[in-house]
Amino acid sequence: MGPIADSTVQALALLFGGDPGLWEIIGISFRVSLTAIALATPVAIAVAFLLAFGRFPGRRLLITAFNTLLSFPAVVVGLTFYILLSRQGPLGEWQLLFTQPAMVIGQIALALPILIAMGHSSLQATDRRAWETARTLGAGRIRSMLTLMREARFGLFAALLAGFGRIIAEVGASMMLGGNILHYTRNIPTAIALETSKGEFAQGIALGLVLLVMAFLLNGLLQLVQGKGRPVA
Amino acid sequence: MSQLLFRNVQKRFGRRRILERVDIALTAGQCQLLCGRNGAGKSTLLRILAGMERPDSADVTVDGTVRRWRQAKKRLLAECIYLHQQPYLFEGSVRYNLNYPLRGSRVARELRIREGLEWSGLEELADQPVHQLSGGERQRVALVRAWLREPRVMLLDEPTANMDSACRQRTVELLQLLKGQGMALLVASHDASSFSGVAEYTWDLCDGRLTDAQATPAGLPEKVTPIAQRARGTA
Repeated sequence: MGPIADSTVQALALLFGGDPGLWEIIGISFRVSLTAIALATPVAIAVAFLLAFGRFPGRRLLITAFNTLLSFPAVVVGLTFYILLSRQGPLGEWQLLFTQPAMVIGQIALALPILIAMGHSSLQATDRRAWETARTLGAGRIRSMLTLMREARFGLFAALLAGFGRIIAEVGASMMLGGNILHYTRNIPTAIALETSKGEFAQGIALGLVLLVMAFLLNGLLQLVQGKGRPVA
Repeated sequence: MSQLLFRNVQKRFGRRRILERVDIALTAGQCQLLCGRNGAGKSTLLRILAGMERPDSADVTVDGTVRRWRQAKKRLLAECIYLHQQPYLFEGSVRYNLNYPLRGSRVARELRIREGLEWSGLEELADQPVHQLSGGERQRVALVRAWLREPRVMLLDEPTANMDSACRQRTVELLQLLKGQGMALLVASHDASSFSGVAEYTWDLCDGRLTDAQATPAGLPEKVTPIAQRARGTA
């Protein structure tokens, strides 16, 4: 067998053999990214609502800004927060650099534009009558908002998956803010980068497979959820 | 609330005048018909009365107290219900939609839903997803859903548009029942003939002004609103 095939076999052995080091990295990745997405989502939905239904000066500028941030490189986000969190930086007192919370902050910054831009599009696409119907049926503002979120749930769910997909696979911010410390801040993408640089592909391939399977499952889930939805006039 | 009185309702969209010093009273147990060509402002007027669209100015008298529209908005949202020409049903089943405006325990809500289904003859459709309903069925579901909220005033925007005669008849019967229960109804429609048996009074909205159209055969002079009487007197 060639080196790639050998590495792939080793990767599968690591994965299915329950290699503790590998699964620890996977655990850190999911813990950090799920925390980031959980913290970012409520803020993003609130902002998306404001952009979709609020009328205030600078609204269009904000929408453009969030759309622009969609293509903001992860490494630049990492650099920005590195400067902010470093000892000499304005947030240096927090002593968060090279910790999991620092990675969470970086990933929140990366997820927010996606969640806001896609959430805003989904909410804006909902029928105006949905809000009016909820209100005229006696729902307060909060319940009407929840109703609208229910009506736009497929789009919002897609936004959630896209946001999660971006942050779990990003390497730049995690590397700069987490420092790739074994057993603490080493996550899937930083581990892949490290192992590849050492010429050891097995763990990289194994972790890459995890990302691939996860992406497949998430998209499958999205298809499943969307398949259950029906357009309502 | 036996009467909601609106005075001096004005609304412009840009430079276009939609409503100009419109006065109207909505009285319990009375049905009024609002006619007018497309774009005359019927929907806008209904939405203002329902507390859903802000007018440029309007005074609202509720329980003898005169308030500005903004101060009365909350009360209007609580007392009135507006039905779109093409009603919006939330995704899910008929039951889910009927449950939406209800409060209280699960058992109490289920009883009310059953009552509503019986009242409207929609029992067989209770668990049907709303996207499988016909236009007429959707309209009836929306009507029952509105009825379950127990509003004092129902404002209906072209409730029989695109309906066949049987559906139209059924809808008119439901409106008759609502009126009999003491609800104030204001129906915007092109189809005055369909509502001749239920509406006491017909308004014509033209150039932003509400004018006295002919009283329908079922019109009961003693039930005509004070504003309508005044309008008649000056016509």
